[in-house]
Amino acid sequence: MIESSAAPDEMVDLLDDQIASNALRSAQALGIAALAPLALEACGGDSGSAAVATSTPSPTPVAITGAEASRFLAQATTGASKADIVSLQGSTYDAWLNTQFAMARPIKFWDFLANNGYNVAANKFGQTGFDTMMWSQLIGGTDTLRQRVGFALHSMVIVGIAGTPSSWLSQGMAAYFDAIWDNAFGNFRQLLDDVAGTVVMGIFLTFINNVKGNPVTGAVPDENFARELMQLFTIGLYQLNMDGTQVLAGGKPVETYTQADVTGGARVWTGWTYANADETIPDRMRLPMINIAAKHESGTKVFLGTTIPANTDGPTSKKLALDAIFAHANVPPFVSKQLIQHLVTSNPSPAYVGRVAAVFANNGSGVRGDLKAVVRAILTDTEARSAANITSTSFGKLREPIFRLTQWARAFGVKSATNTWKFGSTLDPNNRLGESPGRSPSVFNFFRPGYTPPGSGIAAQGLLAPEFQITTEPTVIAYLNYMQDLIVGGAGDSQADYTSLLALATDSQALLNELNLVLAANQISAATIAAMKTGIDSISATTASGQLNRVQAALVLVMAAPEYLILK
Amino acid sequence: MSLDLSRRAFLQRASALSIAGAATPFVMNLAAIGEAAASTATDYKAIVCVFLYGGNDYANTLVPADSSNYAIYNAARPGLGYSQSSLVNTLLAPTVAPAGGQQYALAPELAPLLPIFDAGKMAVILNVGTLVQPTTKAQYVAKSVQLPPKLLSHNDQQSYWQSSSPEGAASGWGGRLGDLFQSGNGTAALTCISPNGNAVFLSGKSAVQYVVTPTGPIALNATTTLRGSTAAAAVLKNLIQTPVNHLFETELTRVSGRAINLYGQVTTALTSAPVTNTVFPAAADPSSTLGAQLKEVARLISVGSQLGAKRQVFFVSTSGFDTHDGLVSIHPVLMSNLANALRAFYDTTVELGVANQVTTFTASDFGRALTANNDGTDHGWGSMHFVLGGAVNGKAYYGTPPVLADNGPDDIGQGRLLPTTSVDQYAATLASWFGVSATDMPTVLPNIGNYTTKNLGFV
Repeated sequence: MIESSAAPDEMVDLLDDQIASNALRSAQALGIAALAPLALEACGGDSGSAAVATSTPSPTPVAITGAEASRFLAQATTGASKADIVSLQGSTYDAWLNTQFAMARPIKFWDFLANNGYNVAANKFGQTGFDTMMWSQLIGGTDTLRQRVGFALHSMVIVGIAGTPSSWLSQGMAAYFDAIWDNAFGNFRQLLDDVAGTVVMGIFLTFINNVKGNPVTGAVPDENFARELMQLFTIGLYQLNMDGTQVLAGGKPVETYTQADVTGGARVWTGWTYANADETIPDRMRLPMINIAAKHESGTKVFLGTTIPANTDGPTSKKLALDAIFAHANVPPFVSKQLIQHLVTSNPSPAYVGRVAAVFANNGSGVRGDLKAVVRAILTDTEARSAANITSTSFGKLREPIFRLTQWARAFGVKSATNTWKFGSTLDPNNRLGESPGRSPSVFNFFRPGYTPPGSGIAAQGLLAPEFQITTEPTVIAYLNYMQDLIVGGAGDSQADYTSLLALATDSQALLNELNLVLAANQISAATIAAMKTGIDSISATTASGQLNRVQAALVLVMAAPEYLILK
Repeated sequence: MSLDLSRRAFLQRASALSIAGAATPFVMNLAAIGEAAASTATDYKAIVCVFLYGGNDYANTLVPADSSNYAIYNAARPGLGYSQSSLVNTLLAPTVAPAGGQQYALAPELAPLLPIFDAGKMAVILNVGTLVQPTTKAQYVAKSVQLPPKLLSHNDQQSYWQSSSPEGAASGWGGRLGDLFQSGNGTAALTCISPNGNAVFLSGKSAVQYVVTPTGPIALNATTTLRGSTAAAAVLKNLIQTPVNHLFETELTRVSGRAINLYGQVTTALTSAPVTNTVFPAAADPSSTLGAQLKEVARLISVGSQLGAKRQVFFVSTSGFDTHDGLVSIHPVLMSNLANALRAFYDTTVELGVANQVTTFTASDFGRALTANNDGTDHGWGSMHFVLGGAVNGKAYYGTPPVLADNGPDDIGQGRLLPTTSVDQYAATLASWFGVSATDMPTVLPNIGNYTTKNLGFV
């Protein structure tokens, strides 16, 4: 749609990035003039932002540059096209967020399966439709902020299909993903409630059909969910300050719970089972679990400083237990820091975590856990928007492999007219991505928020780099091989439309500049682009096939560049 | 070339030690010589860690079989325990029976390992787990000694087993072994190898882990041409390996550089790998690649001499051991997979004539509770592990048989075992066999000084 000759002036301007003025532009683009002084102060903390320290805000708002828009969308979405970037340039971050927050879900995971004929008896066993359903949303959903935030929330409050032996598995996973997606802009407390009610969570963390202790045999309730609910989903192992740093007592971290809290909490998660006993239809996977009083622990349940009185029924116990966990002081920093890591940077400053956690604790109207407010706080924070951080040697994150794929797809109009989205599982680390939506091998996701690559310069600096946990000699090569295949051949009827790029094919500099903007937010250096240009120029552009080869080779080079792969 | 490297390594180590040992120059130098002998050794040794992710259920792996302990076992997990009659064929007959009369049987699915045990090439380590120092029940209750952080947490205990630190560890003890020996290898980067993804175990302070697939390294498709252009392909190869300013970008280029640069060397060596006849049985659980991983390790070992390797550390892994649920349906399949893969691997090392030079050991997050929940078992601590290899002093138990008793001296609740042998001791025994001197042992295992017995003697 947008061709180089028709590009607005500011998109040409951004090619020679003016870092000094970008922080100001960012602050103003937030649409709140009063924030500007705060932005300047926050920028001063880290690295080399002296250039902006003496500047004063310009009285008239400056438009968002293409590079700024592309960077924001790389943090906030599962991929953006040139048109998306241009659209945001004509708006503000807040207005864009408001539009996305207000967008109703175009289709639910469950309805996708039902509407496309997957809920038939032949699909009772197996995983038919699962990958298709995931890609249809991550690539096809116009509610792209929800896709990105939902996926981040799923990565924390996780169910993986492989650890969930069941019939009607795709359907069960659909109900779980709907619980996450439906609440992605709602409240974290409700998200916990709904996810804890899904059948597949009950299966994955083994508390469906869990029964109260048996004094005759000595059997005790299964502790799995009670433990991971606290350790991984909500509060973590050590007490945290609001800025995400550990509370220290006598120089040592303070544990949030003991084994007794796990054993006590496990008693809550007894008596839960399918609401519908009919195995012949998938509906049992959609309905929230119900509680069977006779199998629910009737004694007192003591954990995390809370006592649930004897003879409290299952649903009430669940509510009281989740209330107690949700009220824990760790929840705001624990959840906020991980969401920042998923969206913006692996190593947010304590101040950044603190600002977001404060919003989690209170959205300004006294509401705790308002995810809309949290997402806005994360994406509009000065640390996320700071131009100075683009040249930092440690800010940002390794782009998650599946989002590289979805970004390519969304940038170049990949759809599936037949709704088949034939990317399948991309789990294989030897010839795909080593990561596939909803296919985490365990409750620990594909990578841990606390991971650092051992023996690396990252570890030496005491920094974290979660996505490096799935970065190995085979996966870096497999990614390049697989992306080459997709860039050239697509998947089934999911094919890229390179029309806008082909128009630039004879001008290799323009072609690479365009890809640098759309895919890499102009974060690939001029020197690297120049090196790429020598490669592209070696391909003759005199024929249509030569032009296509140029476009495809340029895509491979840009998506292989470390300066692209690390989103600053 | 490898001679030069070895010589340099010797000099580096000797000089490092002469500083440390200024007060006792000559005694220290004895240690230095022993260590130099290892890193310049002409022989080959490999250790292979087999990690069982999820926390293996010790009691359904090494089943208490004497009548009194069997009764306790069976009462603690009604319906989940093996019947006594199903254990008669895998009852272990160690050369020296435990003084307390304890008997153990392998899970019936582990039967393929019995001949290795009986041949004296497999040892069983009793109640081993993560500790900081020897810890009694009283000390545990009083919290009067330091305990490993984050007990019963999967990710942290996996990390502690592998590195002596919780999640986020900067190096593991396999990698720290690599630090000591990599300069004696023809290609230092081929010292610590995993055929199944990253593991902190294999990363040292300088040694890096090298990951391959279960069928070896993989080639970049655009190695020679990219969309028909050799120049573009050259740009691509250069691009992904050239360090840039950002720490993360630099780390990516290190990984890609290894992938590109080692591919040719390893692939070429593997083409001359001897053909072996041992069959790795198809896994009962098709998602498990443990057999394929170990087969690849055997291939890499078989070409160790072409690659100039003298000391190598391998890490293989398989998951699914978090049996909160379905213990009786899931665990036997896991045991069968494990036994078939370990047996085929051992047989392959025999076939290759390297059985005495390869020592394989099992590890896992933690053991599990003896007491069942409804149909599975929850997280525990101490566990039982196996060591196999031609150099193993097998047909024997090492460590102390745990007392199975509710609130007994080895029980922290519901049959979660307080370990009486530490991972440090287990690891130090393997490290000693590998050639690590007593002087260097603390660099590999920082807490080993807390234990009087530093070598359990199983290899």
